[in-house]
Amino acid sequence: MAAEQGKKIHLIIERQDGPDSKPYTEEFLVPHRPAQNVVEALMEIQKNPVTKDGKKTTPVVWECNCLEKVCGACMMVINGRARQACATLVDKIPQPIRLAPARTFPVIRDLQIDRSIMFESLKRIQGWINVDGSWESREAPIQDPNKATTAYEIAHCMTCGCCLEACPNVGPQSDFIGPAPTVQAYLFNLHPFGKFDEEKRLNVLMEKGGITSCGNSQNCVEVCPKNIKLTTYLAQLNRDVNKQALRNIFNK
Amino acid sequence: MSKKNIIVVGGGISGLMATMKICEAGGEVKLFSYCPVKRSHSLCAQGGINACLNTKGENDTTWEHFDDTVYGGDFLADQTAVKGMCETAPKLIKMFDRMGVPFTRTPEGNLDLRNFGGQKNKRTAFAGSTTGQQLLYSLDEQVRKYEVQGKVKKYEFWEFIKIIKNKQGVCRGIVAQNMNSMEIEAFRADAVILATGGPGVIFGRCTASTICNGSAVSAVYQQGAEIGNSEFIQIHPTAIPGYDKNRLMSEACRGEGGRVWTYKDGKPWYFLEEMYPAYGNLVPRDIASRAIYDVCVNQHLGINGENRVYLDLSHIPAEYLERKLGGILEMYSEFVGDDPRKVPMQVYPSVHYSMGGIWVDIKHNTNIPALLASGECDYQYHGANRLGSNSLLSASYSGTVSGPEAIRWAESDELGEELTDAELAAAKKECSDQFEAILKMDGKENAHVLHHELGDLMNRYCTIVRKNDELDYCFGEIKKILARWNDIGINDKGRWANQEAMFIRQLYNMIIYAMVICKAARMRDESRGAHYKPEFPNRDDEHFMKTTIATYNPETNEPEITYREFDHSLIKPRPRRYDVSKGGKK
Amino acid sequence: MFHTTFYIRRLHSLCGIVPMGVFLLEHIFSNSEALGGPQAFNDAVARIAEIPHDIMLPIEIFGLLIPFLFHMLYGLYIVLQAKNNPARYGFSRNWQFAIQRWTALFLFVFLFVHVIDLRIFVKGGGTPITYGLLHMMFSNNLWFAFYLIGMLAAIFHFCNGMTTFCMTWGIAKGPRIQSVINWLMMLLCALMSLVTIAFMVSYRMH
Repeated sequence: MAAEQGKKIHLIIERQDGPDSKPYTEEFLVPHRPAQNVVEALMEIQKNPVTKDGKKTTPVVWECNCLEKVCGACMMVINGRARQACATLVDKIPQPIRLAPARTFPVIRDLQIDRSIMFESLKRIQGWINVDGSWESREAPIQDPNKATTAYEIAHCMTCGCCLEACPNVGPQSDFIGPAPTVQAYLFNLHPFGKFDEEKRLNVLMEKGGITSCGNSQNCVEVCPKNIKLTTYLAQLNRDVNKQALRNIFNK
Repeated sequence: MSKKNIIVVGGGISGLMATMKICEAGGEVKLFSYCPVKRSHSLCAQGGINACLNTKGENDTTWEHFDDTVYGGDFLADQTAVKGMCETAPKLIKMFDRMGVPFTRTPEGNLDLRNFGGQKNKRTAFAGSTTGQQLLYSLDEQVRKYEVQGKVKKYEFWEFIKIIKNKQGVCRGIVAQNMNSMEIEAFRADAVILATGGPGVIFGRCTASTICNGSAVSAVYQQGAEIGNSEFIQIHPTAIPGYDKNRLMSEACRGEGGRVWTYKDGKPWYFLEEMYPAYGNLVPRDIASRAIYDVCVNQHLGINGENRVYLDLSHIPAEYLERKLGGILEMYSEFVGDDPRKVPMQVYPSVHYSMGGIWVDIKHNTNIPALLASGECDYQYHGANRLGSNSLLSASYSGTVSGPEAIRWAESDELGEELTDAELAAAKKECSDQFEAILKMDGKENAHVLHHELGDLMNRYCTIVRKNDELDYCFGEIKKILARWNDIGINDKGRWANQEAMFIRQLYNMIIYAMVICKAARMRDESRGAHYKPEFPNRDDEHFMKTTIATYNPETNEPEITYREFDHSLIKPRPRRYDVSKGGKK
Repeated sequence: MFHTTFYIRRLHSLCGIVPMGVFLLEHIFSNSEALGGPQAFNDAVARIAEIPHDIMLPIEIFGLLIPFLFHMLYGLYIVLQAKNNPARYGFSRNWQFAIQRWTALFLFVFLFVHVIDLRIFVKGGGTPITYGLLHMMFSNNLWFAFYLIGMLAAIFHFCNGMTTFCMTWGIAKGPRIQSVINWLMMLLCALMSLVTIAFMVSYRMH
């Protein structure tokens, strides 16, 4: 797996020293290897933080953990598109490779961004099953295996933020919580206990910034690295909130 | 402080489980993590979680699970602790089920169970091929609920630096650093739980996440905590080697008919089938690892002379593969770029899990009062070798023990005095000074290059096959790396999100921990579980059925190794053989 | 729990179909009479004019003016919520999303000009709308282009709006039905556009 003689990867990276600093670009040449991914290329810069023009610089800052496309940490904009850097092979995309932070979120430094808003949204939609406690209380209920399969699909969501970055309705200009947290509400509504709080969750989605902010661009489903059928569940939730609206009007 | 105030470091399954237990007992938690806890390494566990549910008509018992675990661990695990874990396992599964883990189900809607290595009965509950992710998320959600209620305060993107002891030597706080603003802060607590995961990254490339560097464990070790059984590092035989990390290729590939081979004299050589005609490609993990190691390292027959062999599925009909292994094969295509349905995969054994870790008693207390450890960072439950799908179990179970135990500490009268402002300030200053010193380092070495060398060294000498002369050499080399650490030149002198400076500090801790692993391996002159020495090919119960204890010597920076008796009162040791009765394969 | 945003959004969606979409269809039907020659068109206009003024005016104010203003003004707010990005994410649905907003902006101007000119100044000033009048108007290339673009924009905005309506109201859930509806609506869009181009051209002929 030695580096092929001479072959280099050309990276053009949009950098930024801090949240309020001005962005600038730096170019790097790193040794090429077979099956190399973007994280690996960034790791090469850590080992030798020198730009294409031979200028010494600081190593590029980015976030990553698992490198197996399950943790969601290394999402960034690669050649204009939000992706997981660990699962993007350099040989499968055109060069030079342009890396930029996902600017839908506040930038912390270089490619590292602040996605805490997504976790706040999960609080907002009450993204949990309200169990009595972790102690042994009773048998867990039987579940419809088909429903469980749907739940499993949605539960793959790793809060990476690709869908928020791609969604034209998410950003500083809008208060939309975005496709991922919205669809998580459906996950909990599917569970035998979780559905006890369905009404609460649907009412949250009817608030400002909730599901009504979805404009059906359907970018979310195209970019989701976990292939979650986001638009299908958004449509289902639309159906559910409409029914909830009728209940709100006529049952009270 | 009227409320019981516990600090939990690490937000994986164990840390979150402990947090939940503490909140239920009326305590308050400050939860520290390198990353949003939802991104912790627990989510990489794929296979499942073991529990005797006995829903497959096999008369499975918790005793059988207990026996399998002890036997699989080659009789080096504390048996009372393991028994407690196996007995609690079914309750934990029910809890996870109630909390919304989307377990894979039978047509009737019950939890489905699958076979796993080293166990005869179907005992592994699973959520597709992402069980760890699903368990972690369910706990993350519960803790989020407590966060909304104000019982948990998360310090995400904070790095643990060290613990603070009071005059009585009781752990009453920690120092941590905000990874963005770089501010260093000291925190008070009634008790501290470390749940910081394994040390895989010490080996450079392994199957662990980049955050699993063992730095926190090393830090408390340097403050007096004992490390137990650190030489026991599990190697997974089939991982996809990568320059950034090695990615696990599930045992299921061999289970479904995958053949392992390499070229010999220009022809494919199915060496596992030739060496072990009875089991062929289905030999247990350690045997397969050693065979691949032998072929590549001793016989230099790896593919193109590199350390890798073929794992071949291309002879199996694509439709069958899709049905049985779909997700796994996609993962390979995604990360390697080749289609394993058409081209053989290239694999090599990789460091996967550390059975060893901080020594704890059965309640997860370390030898430092009010400091607890749980999850992969402790040494409990797995002995010399871990069974597949027992890691998720030990992670969650240990949290259910350490959490309530921390509360017991908080309520006890053994805590001594609370830390004074002066003590907090002093601890903070010490860490700040250390950090300032790192920012000024202007030597010749690059920290990441040095880490790479450490990884190569550890991988070469401290993994599959261990030899005493090589371990001696390795120990000397690690010491050289430690010396070279002082000659690091930092490229980033900034005071905002300076990852390089933090990495330099972590690297120091990794080097210290590497010495522990190496020395402990050197001292154990036998072969047991994951620890294999050709010079001592047999298990030596007389001398080594003991827990290895490593204590830090601040004078030399080196570990002192002693051995400690442990509880093996329930099952008498017998030879661990996977070629007879207790079958180690599916 | 009364979620104003929710009801306004849904009302906005509904207004786009009824009355706005229906009114658009009415325009296309009436104007396509022009294909039958000046007389046919003038007859059609006369039939509408038979509705008594006392009934027509309230319909125009409450059934048309208010819903139109609401849809347009709130729509403007929605347009401002989006950062269009089809250059980076060039999926067809995303293009449609962006075009929906660009046509909205154009229609905002177009409708004001159209209503103020024809309804308020011309018709309100006592001049009946006739074939001859439109013939004169559309002989001017600028007016012709302005109206043609306006009509095509309105047709696309309506047809694409029908697709999103089916999603927003949870009618079309799965990917297959969503794409079938999208195709059907784009087909309808093409058909309506052809008819519109035909009658617009015919105004310039006689």
